[in-house]
Amino acid sequence: MAVDLLIWFVKASVVYGALLGTAALMSLAERKVSAWMQYRHGPNRVGPFGLLQPLADGVKFIFKEELVPEGANRWLFRLAPALAAMPAMLTVAVIPFGTSVEIAGRTVPLSITDLDIGILYVLALSGLAVYGAILGGWASNSKYSLLGGLRASAQMISYELSLMLAILAIVLVSGSLDLRAVIEGQRGFTDWNIWKQPLAFLLFTVATFAETNRHPFDFAECEPELVGGFHTEYSSMRFALFFLGEYCAMTVMAALNATLFFGGPSVPGLPDAPWWLGVGAFGAKTAFFLFLFLWVRWTLPRFRFDQLMKLGWQVLLPLALVNLTLTGAWVAWSGGH
Amino acid sequence: MVVVERKELTLWERLWLPEVARGLSITFRKLFQKRITRQYPEERLPTDEVTRGQPRLVVKDDGNIACVSCGLCEAACPAYAITIDGGETDRFIEREPVRFDIDMLRCILCGFCEEACPKDAIFMSDELELADYSRGALVYDMHKLKRPKAALQKRIDYVYRINDRWRKPSST
Repeated sequence: MAVDLLIWFVKASVVYGALLGTAALMSLAERKVSAWMQYRHGPNRVGPFGLLQPLADGVKFIFKEELVPEGANRWLFRLAPALAAMPAMLTVAVIPFGTSVEIAGRTVPLSITDLDIGILYVLALSGLAVYGAILGGWASNSKYSLLGGLRASAQMISYELSLMLAILAIVLVSGSLDLRAVIEGQRGFTDWNIWKQPLAFLLFTVATFAETNRHPFDFAECEPELVGGFHTEYSSMRFALFFLGEYCAMTVMAALNATLFFGGPSVPGLPDAPWWLGVGAFGAKTAFFLFLFLWVRWTLPRFRFDQLMKLGWQVLLPLALVNLTLTGAWVAWSGGH
Repeated sequence: MVVVERKELTLWERLWLPEVARGLSITFRKLFQKRITRQYPEERLPTDEVTRGQPRLVVKDDGNIACVSCGLCEAACPAYAITIDGGETDRFIEREPVRFDIDMLRCILCGFCEEACPKDAIFMSDELELADYSRGALVYDMHKLKRPKAALQKRIDYVYRINDRWRKPSST
């Protein structure tokens, strides 16, 4: 029992360390990639290649003055950043980052916990993420924040539908809500869900951009129209928490993309790869999708809000429905997965 | 009135994703381009002899400055940045400054002191940076203003050359 607790504790520490470390590195990578694409160097003064920049930013944020605007709902105002950061941090608990390890005669599955309704848990929690943005926007008592929050909620709700329908197609294909079963079903390179569900992959990827409020769908922030959107009135560590939440959400979504469509820890050509290689493969896939977030951000201009809604309801949702129907028909016809 | 004709998007363009992929490929190529930002404190802009930086006092090869505290630069200075107190010396020139201050916060780098100086004692260097923690520290005294002749040689040669355009060699 004690050993189980210890193993569990170690796994949780490692995963949360990796998640927060990735989020910190992403804040640096964002600036580095944007700089490189514009022929600049990016931050390179703090530590080698600017690697200590996130640390310097963190220290700066802690020492900044914290302002609560007049007329703000103080309690909700303080709660919102935590609500924004929490769902992503909770979601990561069910994502399998490797196959399993033999330690002291026990088989330890490499994920904090294996829920048999893992996918449902992920969807439920990612639906909560909108509360951070909308409460932050509403509690600030500022028109820009409120508009940002409203947009965030409208956008997240409309894209969550496509996101869930895309994931449901995967659930149909793998026949389980357990993420562990989903990766078990894609051990070999040719079993990867991307080959079976390319449309679902596209829908999921596009929807994750909207879900995490990233370019080209970052209407909740939308600097030229809304100053800073829902976090206009925030300063100091609370502002940083919003960003931490955003980067954590990006990391989790990238990890989900790798898990659902690219076999998670599956190594191409090596179906029986050792666990550490699997963890490496999972990390590499996640890193690629994280890079995709940055890559797209510094390539595409922001949509108009009506275009965003049109894309969500008139293009993505019908496509997701058609995809789900066809997948369901195919699964029923072929008599199982 | 100008009628702007909007180009109809082709089906391929309206599919959106292929065009996104094209854009992504462009930005990806740019990732590996040569960075054109200059890393300032390490990589400086080349300075030219024409550059008028902050004025400096030339230290001659015998170790003394050439200034005789005549006060012409002080008078020529449009920003009243220069303050000179003269004193006596046993050297042949008989007078030398006991105090020669330039308030670098007032100096406008016009170069009038350089032009006014009859003894070729003050020249515009190529030093342009000016930063300190107090205003007092930016009033440079004689000690801070001294530079060996070699450091200013390029500027000295340049000033001689352009002055020669209207000054016959015999007049000096």
